Amino acid sequence: MKNKRRITLQLLMILGVVILINIVSDRFFVRVDLTQDQRYTLSDATRNILRDLKQPVTVSAYFTSDLPPQYINLRREFTDLLVEYGNLSRGMVVFEMIDPNDEETEMAAMQAGVQPVIVNVRERDQVKQQKAYMGAVVRMGDRKEAIPLIQSDAAMEYSLSTSIKKISIVDKPLIGVVQGHGQPPLSSLQQALSGLLVLNNVEEVNFYDTIEDISRFQSLMIIGPTDSIPSLHFSLLDSYLAGGGNLLVALNRVSADFNTLQGFAVETGLENWLMDKGVIVEGRFIVDANCGTVGVTQQTGAFQYTTNIRFPYLPLINDFADHPITKGLSNIVLQFASPILYTGDTLVRFEPIAFTSEKSDARSVPLMFDIQKQWTDRDFTRSKLAVAATLQGPISGNLPSRMVVFGDADFAVASDPRQNLQRENVSLLVNAVDWLSDDTGLVELRTKGPKARPLDEVEDGRKLFLKLLNFLLPIILIIIYGVYRIIRNRNIRMKRMEDVYV
Amino acid sequence: MKVWVIATRELRSFFDSLMAYIMLVAFLGFSGFFTWLYGSDIFFVRQASLQVFFSIAYWTLFFFIPALTMRLLAEENRTGTIEMLMTKPISDLQVVMGKFSSVMLLIVIALALTIPYYITVASLGPIDHGATITGYVGLLLMSAAYVSIGLFASSISNNQIIAFLLALLISIFFHIIFDVLSYSVTGGIGSIFSYLSISTHFDSISRGVIDSKDIIYFLSITFLSLVATEAVLTRRNAV
Repeated sequence: MKNKRRITLQLLMILGVVILINIVSDRFFVRVDLTQDQRYTLSDATRNILRDLKQPVTVSAYFTSDLPPQYINLRREFTDLLVEYGNLSRGMVVFEMIDPNDEETEMAAMQAGVQPVIVNVRERDQVKQQKAYMGAVVRMGDRKEAIPLIQSDAAMEYSLSTSIKKISIVDKPLIGVVQGHGQPPLSSLQQALSGLLVLNNVEEVNFYDTIEDISRFQSLMIIGPTDSIPSLHFSLLDSYLAGGGNLLVALNRVSADFNTLQGFAVETGLENWLMDKGVIVEGRFIVDANCGTVGVTQQTGAFQYTTNIRFPYLPLINDFADHPITKGLSNIVLQFASPILYTGDTLVRFEPIAFTSEKSDARSVPLMFDIQKQWTDRDFTRSKLAVAATLQGPISGNLPSRMVVFGDADFAVASDPRQNLQRENVSLLVNAVDWLSDDTGLVELRTKGPKARPLDEVEDGRKLFLKLLNFLLPIILIIIYGVYRIIRNRNIRMKRMEDVYV
Repeated sequence: MKVWVIATRELRSFFDSLMAYIMLVAFLGFSGFFTWLYGSDIFFVRQASLQVFFSIAYWTLFFFIPALTMRLLAEENRTGTIEMLMTKPISDLQVVMGKFSSVMLLIVIALALTIPYYITVASLGPIDHGATITGYVGLLLMSAAYVSIGLFASSISNNQIIAFLLALLISIFFHIIFDVLSYSVTGGIGSIFSYLSISTHFDSISRGVIDSKDIIYFLSITFLSLVATEAVLTRRNAV
């Protein structure tokens, strides 16, 4: 028989050992990432960047220490990531953790580009706001790049790897953004530019200013022209392509006027130039059952309310070809897009890379938008219309060149500087430029993170059936088993009673 | 073997009373209702993911497990059958493990009955199978922790209601209080509260990553509670 004191002592010893194991396991742990796209594991892009490092990289991480645990966890997550970077780069990445707790270190952090953020901290039963630093500065030789605010998971790896890549590239290729034909200004492409500037330098090109040497650009981008383009400019583009240049064209063939609720075609001459190359961007509106919504304000009596109505003119693109440009993308939203066809010769390789859903169609212009229209399956008679495509080969002249064509120009353009574009829309544009420049090293990293995994379109009847089936089936199974068990137990009881009777 | 005999006997007694049916129907009813019919249900979220179900089961299991465990030892204490059980050639640990396994089997059955959810969602979209499996693993590990806490609460009382409330009280620390405290306290103490909170570890596993520290955390709570339960049983006969 055991002694009560001994039992208590044993229990306390076990408690101590378990606490010790937990402390050790918190420092030394093994992790298995079972997500389909391995989003919590370092990507091949990061591994390649670290393997190719020629000079040591120093990361100075500025983290305020006395913060709530979610921020402390962020600091630890970042430290773990830096240790892993150090291992993968065979010691080329070294780091230091700095706590900006005095004026001198705070000043150093701010001068390096790490700005303080305000966080809520609870202290002595009061919530107070505190200045905190959660950023880093990446240095290689005399070049440096700041990460003003570190975020968790995939965003953390993206910001650190792109910063290292940015400072380790010696000669960045030059990308030209063509202006002068009513294109949106560079400021509206800000979100795409921040991605582009990692691997490239970007400059405006205006064909009207000077007949400059455009062969110095690795790639040119023509996004959303609205004015007619002179034929001389097309000749320039032809000679640029003939010299092996690469071109990205994002074209609005149709446009909408929400005041008159009318849709019409846009003609700039670019569509005819593309047609000469065999690429037809149809002057028609794509409609898709898989679509975004628009807010419609309605008045009922004295009440005004806004309802979101599905609007098939805003197709959601979930179907992508297996191509470096679309790698990892899952959900793109287009506004008033047009389908792309190819009728050119086979010397040039035409490859559609993004498609509408199984239930889609293209509407001729001019048309009137009916916001309240009840869309049915009969409105969507076509499927898998191409909205983006690539061309490779002798597009103009004899030298091989590359071209990417989009049947919509607004998907990565912010109409307002404060507008936050969908991340994957921006990635699509930046990936396309990377592919044109033949450097897709960051594509995988850019699209890393939780993916949209949209459900298929389901008819209302089937949806109701599935809802009720899943709700009721497990309950019915349990009830059936219960009834079976009651009957079985009763039969056993009856049998026993019969035995006694006999 | 003896553990298995006790576990199946207990499981049979669950199904011979109304207890198992009420609990299973309530668990599946709640989970099914909020996963498929109401609120941020799967067709509203329109994502091929069972995260909706996992976040509901995270709460429903928290309430249902103490109701399943409250009877296990408290009833034996009240009726005195525990003394009879102790005279059998089985160890205290075998009794504890047998009872623990019976409730875990019931929870496995409850979760297995939600496999139609998985099949339906997988047929409707590109579900992340890895993240779904780890979501179920997370629910099982969390359940193991709460079952062992419930068993401990049941061992120190002979009143089922007290055992239920005590289990809920202990569990509420891991489920809510440590989490809330971790947001209110800064520095190392805040980190300790964050580590002690079940939600920290459940969230980490259910996103699709099996991390040794999360597994060790759940197993530690389970192990400590089971050892404490055994100690309570052993102390009865101690001098």
